[in-house]
Amino acid sequence: MTLNRTKAPETQNIKSIEFVKPHVFDINEAVKLYWMREVPNETARLDLYFNAGSIRGKIGIASFVNGLLLSGTSDKTSTEINHQLDLLGGFHESGITNEGAVFSLYGLRENFPALIRVLKDAIAGLAFHEDEVIELIASRKQKYLVNLKKTSYLAQRGFQEKLFASSEFYSRTIDESTYEDVTPQELKRFFQKYYLNGLTKVTLVGNFHPDFTDEVIDTFGTWAIDQSPKFEESASNETGEFHIEKEDALQTTLRVGRIMFNKNHPDFIDFQILNTLLGDYFGSRLMTNLREDKGYTYGIGAMTSEFHNFGYFLIATEVGKENRQNALNEIKKEIDRLQNELVPIEELDLVRNYLLGQLLKSADGPYSMLDLYLNVEEQNCDLTFYNEFIERIQEIEPKRIQELAKTYLNWKDFSIVSAG
Amino acid sequence: MIQFEKFVLKNGLTVLLHHDQSTPMVVVNTLYDVGARDESEEKTGFAHLFEHLMFGGSVNIPDFDGPLQNAGGESNAFTSNDITNYYDILPKENIETALWLESDRMLSLAFTDKSLEIQRQVVIEEFKQRYLNQPYGDVWLQLRPLAYRVHPYKWATIGKELEHIEQATMKDVRAFFEKHYGPANAILCIAGNFDQEKIKEQVEKYYGDIPTSLKPARILPKEPVQSEYRVLEIRRNVPVNAFYFAFKMQERRDPAFYITDVLSDAMGREKSSLFYIRLKKELKLVSDISAYITGSIDDGLLIVSGKLSENVDFEEFEKEFWKTIEEIKAEKMSEEEMTKLLNKIRTSKEFQEQGLLNRAMNLCNFELLGDANGINEELGLYSLITAKDIETMASLILNKENCSLLKVKSEL
Repeated sequence: MTLNRTKAPETQNIKSIEFVKPHVFDINEAVKLYWMREVPNETARLDLYFNAGSIRGKIGIASFVNGLLLSGTSDKTSTEINHQLDLLGGFHESGITNEGAVFSLYGLRENFPALIRVLKDAIAGLAFHEDEVIELIASRKQKYLVNLKKTSYLAQRGFQEKLFASSEFYSRTIDESTYEDVTPQELKRFFQKYYLNGLTKVTLVGNFHPDFTDEVIDTFGTWAIDQSPKFEESASNETGEFHIEKEDALQTTLRVGRIMFNKNHPDFIDFQILNTLLGDYFGSRLMTNLREDKGYTYGIGAMTSEFHNFGYFLIATEVGKENRQNALNEIKKEIDRLQNELVPIEELDLVRNYLLGQLLKSADGPYSMLDLYLNVEEQNCDLTFYNEFIERIQEIEPKRIQELAKTYLNWKDFSIVSAG
Repeated sequence: MIQFEKFVLKNGLTVLLHHDQSTPMVVVNTLYDVGARDESEEKTGFAHLFEHLMFGGSVNIPDFDGPLQNAGGESNAFTSNDITNYYDILPKENIETALWLESDRMLSLAFTDKSLEIQRQVVIEEFKQRYLNQPYGDVWLQLRPLAYRVHPYKWATIGKELEHIEQATMKDVRAFFEKHYGPANAILCIAGNFDQEKIKEQVEKYYGDIPTSLKPARILPKEPVQSEYRVLEIRRNVPVNAFYFAFKMQERRDPAFYITDVLSDAMGREKSSLFYIRLKKELKLVSDISAYITGSIDDGLLIVSGKLSENVDFEEFEKEFWKTIEEIKAEKMSEEEMTKLLNKIRTSKEFQEQGLLNRAMNLCNFELLGDANGINEELGLYSLITAKDIETMASLILNKENCSLLKVKSEL
């Protein structure tokens, strides 16, 4: 029998997904350790979360302290610390968001007990040596000056100012003065308050003996925060169009978005489906129009992002400078279309299947599964959220999509920032 | 140890199966043995433009992405100077959808004039976004022709210039497909939780009737041995002076490749590496420095790149750079240093291989080099390397006559 290649093979829909909860241990009333034990290989990972995001302290300090965590103690230089971690085959990275900071350590299981001791000593004894501070600030300043040459950076910075307009600490952005007059004393004070008394969460992945969790808690538990930190309850964006001119740019970066809710809102899940349809997969409305039909851009995407108490929605792209207005018109046209026409059922069915497949993938393996868990845990939800998600994906109707588009995607509610 | 099974279809397609029952997903990875090095110098950027067109529909299926998304899957691809790699990740139940789509575009393409026009525009925007509208974005466009005079590695995958993309015709595109996209020029790896009883039958069903192809001969000019220090200084509207040293190194299949890889780690992979300590921490000449290899199949490059500290000039920096190089050549590394480098390699390999897609891509890559089982032998090769090997290699390649230096000078 010859194969009929024009006919697509039968596909099966995903009915349910198995979500695995990590083992949870109390460090104190406010702080927990989450452990994913079933790991089919020798890899291991530890993440320390701190109440040390960019909204804390004087502007810039949170980022500097985060960058200096391994910069040396009274008896060890930064090079010695790095050498010790490297000798044990360890990798590490750290970073901050608005609401938190994280330090991540990766390595092989056999080396982990030694690795966490080196890490503990390095952070506990952090001395803020003056030459290390000077060096970090000089190199951060260079990066900042390079960033100023990027339209993506300029647009992102402008967007942050407009998006979080109602909130001083979320909207503030750095400038050259941020790199002046930074003293080791203020870095130390920040570190004392937000790291040594600011640990909010510990996560561990690795096929360890259960006793190892005690060791992790003993090692880092002393830094646990006494009570859960407070975050801004809400925010609102400054609406309108804002352009940042960059003379020599070949492309214009666009950021279009607004303040939204997080997972605790009853419309959150349905809005995710709308968001995917509009701009969160390769076949989305925005990609189909602006890339595959007009060729304006290499890529365009819509996304949502969430904080402890609220969230935001964002459309991001880079287009040829001559197409800035055309691109905005087409984005608006796609949103209008979602408001004025019902989504064809075939398209919605495709999005359903795509989303379920992606959810299945994001629950695959201990690392992905932990991320999935933390995404809900941070907003005081639990894994039942995903079962509800599956249910909504299966049930949502075109009328509901249209209703949400009318409620949440109004051009007049957006902050529209362009740079180029 | 990564288990796999290999077989070759009558039409020449090499198939690798890697079963993993711990995942609900399956990966279908297809490596085509064609990259930017197979382009003619007058038509560069073609392998990559073509990769875009592969998503524009095939002979029996008008749309590639739709059916895959409908099966809960996603897909992407990349082009390098050596290869073009396509992958699909989808729930295991729907594996046939990926086999159906991938085999049809191996059979024959059916893109339209419009899809050529649009993808041309998309690639031009990609060119701008990645190479032209970024500070230091064009360094590889400058560094490649400095380091390579003859070999096609002298142009980047995106192409030498926008004009080549603008001038591509439908005829060129067809000829490219005919030449490079036959089954004998491809390696297919299916990884994940497929049905072990059925998989061979499924592969045969979708790929078996694709006509046999010949593997195109590849005759590339060998890059002549470099015999002079090449320095190019360019001025750009950037705030910080940057440097890119490119030392010629072995081709990928040379056993000494691994020695040079470890040498580059010792020089500048981590914050405890030789260059980082000497030039950044001790002398404070640079704000950033790292060393790595391009890992290309033909003769590759060992790169040392970074940025100068404020108020440091190139002359002062270069003097200390070469002094440090001489020290590396003169001093044998300690056993502890060797242990450290090997431990880092072990950790990275273990992390890399926990991802299903990585395993599938690596199996294809090693098969292309000659044997997919290379994936399981690599660590053994690294562990045989001695401090003496590194010392010898340093003396062999870390010389001015073997080096090209690109300096990006701030105009501000």
